[in-house]
Amino acid sequence: MIDCEHLGFSYDGEHFVLSDIGLYIGQGEFVCILGGNGSGKSTFAKHMNALLIADEGTMRIDGMDASDDEALYAIRSTAGMVFQNPDDQLVASIVEDDVAFGPENLGVETPEIARRVREALAEVGLVGFELHETNALSGGQKQRVAIAGALAMEPKILILDEASAMLDPRGRRGLMRVCKTLNARGMTIVCITHFMEEAAQADRVIVLDRGRIACDGTPDAVLTRTGMLAKLNLETPFACTLSQRLRDEGIDIPVCIREDELARAIADAAQCPACEGRADFAEDACEETAEAVHGSTESASAKRGGASAETDGGTQRSTGENRMPVISFEHVSHTYLDASKAKKNRASKRKKTAKWGNDPHAVWALHDIDLAVYAGEFLGIAGHTGSGKSTLIAHMNGILKPTSGRVLVDGRDIADKKAADEARAHVGVVFQYPERQLFAATVYDDVAFGPRNIGLSEDEVETRVASSLSLVGLDCDELRESSPFELSGGQQRRVAFAGVLAMEPRVLVLDEPAAGLDPAARREFLSLVSSLQKETDMTVVMVSHSMDDLAALCDRIVVLKEGALFAEGTPREVFALGDKLDAVGLGLPAARRMALALAAQGLPDVFSTLYSEDELVAAIVSACQCDADGAQSAKEASGR
Amino acid sequence: MNPSFSFGSYYPAESVLHKLDPRTKLIAGAGVIAAALLSADFSGLAVAAGFIAFFYAISRIPFGSCIRSLAPLLAIVVLASMFNLFLVQGGETLIQWWFIRISEAGVYACAFIACRLLIMMAGMSLVTMTTTTMDLTEGFERLLSPLARIGFPAHELGMILGIALRFMPQFADELVNVYRAQISRGARLASSPARGVRMLSSLAVPLFSSALRRAETLAAAMDARCYHGSDGRTRLHPLAFTKRDAAAAIVVAAMIVACAGVSSAL
Repeated sequence: MIDCEHLGFSYDGEHFVLSDIGLYIGQGEFVCILGGNGSGKSTFAKHMNALLIADEGTMRIDGMDASDDEALYAIRSTAGMVFQNPDDQLVASIVEDDVAFGPENLGVETPEIARRVREALAEVGLVGFELHETNALSGGQKQRVAIAGALAMEPKILILDEASAMLDPRGRRGLMRVCKTLNARGMTIVCITHFMEEAAQADRVIVLDRGRIACDGTPDAVLTRTGMLAKLNLETPFACTLSQRLRDEGIDIPVCIREDELARAIADAAQCPACEGRADFAEDACEETAEAVHGSTESASAKRGGASAETDGGTQRSTGENRMPVISFEHVSHTYLDASKAKKNRASKRKKTAKWGNDPHAVWALHDIDLAVYAGEFLGIAGHTGSGKSTLIAHMNGILKPTSGRVLVDGRDIADKKAADEARAHVGVVFQYPERQLFAATVYDDVAFGPRNIGLSEDEVETRVASSLSLVGLDCDELRESSPFELSGGQQRRVAFAGVLAMEPRVLVLDEPAAGLDPAARREFLSLVSSLQKETDMTVVMVSHSMDDLAALCDRIVVLKEGALFAEGTPREVFALGDKLDAVGLGLPAARRMALALAAQGLPDVFSTLYSEDELVAAIVSACQCDADGAQSAKEASGR
Repeated sequence: MNPSFSFGSYYPAESVLHKLDPRTKLIAGAGVIAAALLSADFSGLAVAAGFIAFFYAISRIPFGSCIRSLAPLLAIVVLASMFNLFLVQGGETLIQWWFIRISEAGVYACAFIACRLLIMMAGMSLVTMTTTTMDLTEGFERLLSPLARIGFPAHELGMILGIALRFMPQFADELVNVYRAQISRGARLASSPARGVRMLSSLAVPLFSSALRRAETLAAAMDARCYHGSDGRTRLHPLAFTKRDAAAAIVVAAMIVACAGVSSAL
């Protein structure tokens, strides 16, 4: 299908973004291309449908030469492409029109276009959405429309250029499912991604590094090369990391890249006769919980999780009474529409929203939220796209006013204009993709924007800029005169972050701080946030739909669902909700997923409460050591 | 994300207006503007307003959406009518303070221009709310196609119009986001001219760079789907005039005549 030899390409004639790439992708393969930012993977993708033409070497797509102008449209309809940003690639405002755009350009007859649109939408599972506005769809749905748009040209190859990078877990899963089905029917899929879990599902993985192929092979062969992946700013899939760690602990299991395989392997390793007996003992000891897991009744486990989340929410609040909450929400509701009408329409509109996730005409962006943020804590806010997370944080420094209810910052209602101004000085908000707010000619001026706005003298501004840049790990002297637009994506984000820190906030609110970064930059940025919180004793509120990040960093997690509070508690309690979190479009942290899979495989009940990687490793190690001591430590692990 | 900005974005519904040929609707939109301009006094405008209200009623667009689609434009209306309030002089002087003088004629002109603008905008936004961008693009292109023969880029203009409308909500969102971010960093429009300029540039620069970024992706996405201008393009829904369009033309013609007639009769 795709056959390229010695391909080289440069944008400016000097620096080669791609050099000497030789690659053959066969009919019906599912290939994932990995690589850190700047490895040339998107550039390579654009060669596969002749959006870019090689400077050196040749690229043939289904036998057609990419440099042949005559074959241009044949190539582009053979290799359909889906881009990263769901908002920017849809041309029309109506789903049906957008899907028809490709065949219309190709001059396909009207009845045939209608047939193709119908079939393409059926393939991506969007039947009945023909006349929906593209703007009103969720990110995942938009990407599926984009796939349908490519499918309507009846391609043989589908290229996804980081198509899942901006989606929430539910959207990402839906996208992957569509790709899998298409592949099963013989479509060649080339998927460019940062997500190792996706790469693990491919037939073949290719790793690019600075424009060259660093590695090419089956996922089992490539993804287990931890050292190499780390050097290329990539990470390994969770299952691989875990199996490596267990091997380091001396447990004899193969290195796996898929979680279900690993779960089986661990279960086998732990199931020697002695362990069997202990597992039975464990079950006897806590029959009630065991029933919840082994009876595998969703409702039972959900009920148990829900109850514990509630009780612990209660204890949290009672301990919290001693300390003042920094920010507290009292019955806060917010609507973007006229309030009196919203109340009237509420009942009828509710039914409509239930049909599909986030309707832009939904009435309540937030409904009856009670929430307290305590000094010094690290609070996580999770929720699917459109669950009201962004609206919620816009209330924290008074950018939005509640339609009903009150928001108190330091005990003062910020409906008062003066209190709102003060709140803004105390509560720093870092919005999604903060680098998109950069505007000044130099890094210094951009970071100084905030301090200058609050009327500080130039000396104070100077010290603030220097200290906030050093807090985010950038060198002020080196960068102060450079343009923020010349920096790398990760650095731009740090500058934007420094711009908020320069206001010297006591509470830092971060909206999806790691979205769109590659794994290395993502890890760095999150550890920066976490060390900042520990060093400066700042209160941090972080919005994210990555449950792994929330599990790793937060003291307490709040889950939103369609504008209402869905769950609240420590990570352990929230993740105990299991399937219920799945139902609101959120995943579980990988370690928690594994622990549940192990519990389902019949391992001791200990596993049904674990959520962090360290605990999991300890528990598995003890489960596999078939002596009394092992059983003891497993019990301890569960007690913790 | 923020539905309070929705100027002219398509509202999906099944109505007579939605089914009209986009060419008819574009001409009708021009007709509404003509009617508003031909109305020399309030009686003419009242007739035009009556017709507009009737159009909205049969478009099956909820009242709230109509209002919201017009709300962002109120600033223009207010600005234009303010100019008239202060600049048009005549009749009895109502308020005199320092160099500001508001006269009877000024108040009349202010109210009149506001109503006239509102009617025009309501008419145009009804056209874009009941027409999908692709249809609008095609309709615009076909209306201008006689000019295309003398080298006028009708198709391109149509495409630009369509894409502009398609991205309007995105830019509104983007503006809201950047605005919130800069406000959070203590920016305020009103305090002093120097800071006002800084505030404006802190909004404009990110918006421009995002527009360029979006344009780049969109161009690549259109290329990837074999877009190459109007040559050999077919349509999923080819345009065709029906009896409905004839009826619509008669109604709009009646509206123009009525507006002009009523105002000249008085």
